[in-house]
Amino acid sequence: SNIFSFIREKTISEKDIEDILWDLEMSLLESDVAIDVAEKITDELKNQLVGKKVKRSTDIIEYTQEAFKNSIRDILTVNGKDMDSILQEKQNKKEPFIIMFVGINGTGKTTTIAKMAKYFLDRGLKPVIAASDTFRAGAIEQLTHHAEKLGVKIIKHEKGADPAAVAFDAVEHAKAKGKDVVLIDTAGRMQTNVNLMDEMAKIKRVVKPDFIIFVGDSLTGNDAVEQAIKFNESVGIDAIILTKADADAKGGAALSIGYVINKPIIFLGTGQGYDDLIEFKPEWMIHQLFT
Amino acid sequence: MLGKLGKSLAKTMKKLAGMTIVDEEVVKEVIKDIQRALIQADVNIKLVFKLSKSIEERALNEEPPKGVTPKEHIIRIVYEEMVKLVGETPKPLKIDKKPYKILFIGLQGSGKTTTIGKLSRHLQKKGLNTAIVCTDTWRPAAFDQLKQLTQEINIPVYGEPENKNPLEIANKGLEKFKDYDVIIFDTAGRHKEEKHLLEEMEQLSTAIKPDETILVIDGTIGQQAKEQARAFSQSTPVGSIIVTKLDGSAKGGGALSAVAETGAPIKFIGTGEKLEDFEVFDPERFISRLLGMGDIRSLLEKA
Ligand SMILES: Nc1nc2c(ncn2[C@@H]2O[C@H](COP(=O)(O)OP(=O)(O)OP(=O)(O)O)[C@@H](O)[C@H]2O)c(=O)[nH]1
Ligand SMILES: Nc1nc2c(ncn2[C@@H]2O[C@H](COP(=O)(O)OP(=O)(O)OP(=O)(O)O)[C@@H](O)[C@H]2O)c(=O)[nH]1
Ligand SMILES: [Mg+2]
Ligand SMILES: [Mg+2]
Repeated sequence: SNIFSFIREKTISEKDIEDILWDLEMSLLESDVAIDVAEKITDELKNQLVGKKVKRSTDIIEYTQEAFKNSIRDILTVNGKDMDSILQEKQNKKEPFIIMFVGINGTGKTTTIAKMAKYFLDRGLKPVIAASDTFRAGAIEQLTHHAEKLGVKIIKHEKGADPAAVAFDAVEHAKAKGKDVVLIDTAGRMQTNVNLMDEMAKIKRVVKPDFIIFVGDSLTGNDAVEQAIKFNESVGIDAIILTKADADAKGGAALSIGYVINKPIIFLGTGQGYDDLIEFKPEWMIHQLFT
Repeated sequence: MLGKLGKSLAKTMKKLAGMTIVDEEVVKEVIKDIQRALIQADVNIKLVFKLSKSIEERALNEEPPKGVTPKEHIIRIVYEEMVKLVGETPKPLKIDKKPYKILFIGLQGSGKTTTIGKLSRHLQKKGLNTAIVCTDTWRPAAFDQLKQLTQEINIPVYGEPENKNPLEIANKGLEKFKDYDVIIFDTAGRHKEEKHLLEEMEQLSTAIKPDETILVIDGTIGQQAKEQARAFSQSTPVGSIIVTKLDGSAKGGGALSAVAETGAPIKFIGTGEKLEDFEVFDPERFISRLLGMGDIRSLLEKA
């Protein structure tokens, strides 16, 4: 650089961006990003910006906001296992694609399975559903209703039966009848309940799913972090679906989860109908944070 | 209010322990830690700042009573400010007429149906003849769920799985169970953007004329608790709140936002999926949980 560059450049100081960083942190918190994650994101942003030389004319606030948006995009852009390519692989091998759905109580697993069944039907594939929530009152009946409405085969046992056995039977059915996808519903469970977490791990050992989807509620606050970490430790999460985004949820859980387990959010649930499932785009999160 | 949030309440509390006079610096540190703890517990951000501001003012301006250490003094203030919101003692559910009609409302999946099972068991144990009406015409197998939940305790449930008109079902249920002590009405889950469903809830409430309307709040809900609670209470006045899923690791701060928004007290909490996993609300334990402090009770006894 030449001796006049100082005229055209300025160096960003901590002071310059203190207020805007605080505002950004607040908007993360108000959008339900967990506090630890919100702080890490803004700290990383600060480290990245302080000391940086920018053109004199640069509006620091705008510049910081852009850098912030980029870090959100980075966190949410994950090159995880891709559902479509695994599906393709399984199709080529003439084997069923086995997906297991997990999550805490009442997030929307069962409803999301119905939506996913519809999603695969729409693509000309034949799904079968496994009623492996044999615990909750009315769970089997709820799923049966969805299966009947969609015209999809459901494999079920009695209430109280071994969930792994149900899942196993569904996989056997799929193999015998040439079904393309097995969708395994599991009972909701708290990540703090060791016995139930072990039971879930057992279903995984028995059926060896190709893909495990964590279904989270987009209205979740700070607990999203604990949920994601514990479910990921117990069974390994390949992707995330966040439900109830239609409830005007800001959906910061997407960012919390993406940050702590570095797994992709693939869909958002946007209602109780079978078609209320949209592909997740990082821009959605940015939009939520800035409106 | 501006500036970094705190790090750990436990650590600053230790710092406070050795102090003999109230040190402004340390108080400010404690306030930041309290803010952090409450935000982590999912209490509404604006409410956190409001709370912490009154705590700070009192901690700095009020002279600790004789013989009370600054630490005990501050804990007492924190506790009092929180108690202002949740109440010092749990408010009982007073069943003072017959039939006493209870309407359950709340977001999708918050735990209404399960909690109705629990409450019916709780009332039955008190010797009250309790019945349930299922007006949830949306969720598949809502009626089966209620039947299965309560079959072992012999609570009658009225519902019409084929009927899509919740008002009709509610009216028939009212008639059918008019000689019972308590009738509990389950409703479909809904949220603040579903205007037609909120209207439906309003109509249901008008038809049932509940003696008590209970809003069920999912213990894991975050900042949206406030707006959702507001929408519910604007459509149907809320008399009390039940917080569910407190057997997990969530702190339940969303419920505090709902309390602040609706003015309704928390009466019970849910701590599991089974009918027995149901407790009368304990303000002290709840506040300890929100602050992430194990033992506020022993601290208070000293203070
Ligand atoms: N508004 C809205 N409601 C949803 C969405 N997804 C699910 N729900 C509703 O949320 C409630 C719970 O959904 P379920 O599918 O039963 O949840 P689950 O995770 O299977 O619950 P458990 O099996 O009891 O753990 C139901 O009333 C669903 O209709 C969504 O994207 N938007
Ligand atoms: N761990 C735990 N699970 C709970 C608690 N209360 C309810 N649940 C579970 O949460 C899930 C949803 O409960 P429901 O009673 O179906 O919720 P709801 O509000 O009636 O749901 P909708 O009718 O679909 O709106 C079920 O899996 C329940 O077993 C609780 O206190 N702890
Ligand atoms: Mg389910
Ligand atoms: Mg229900």
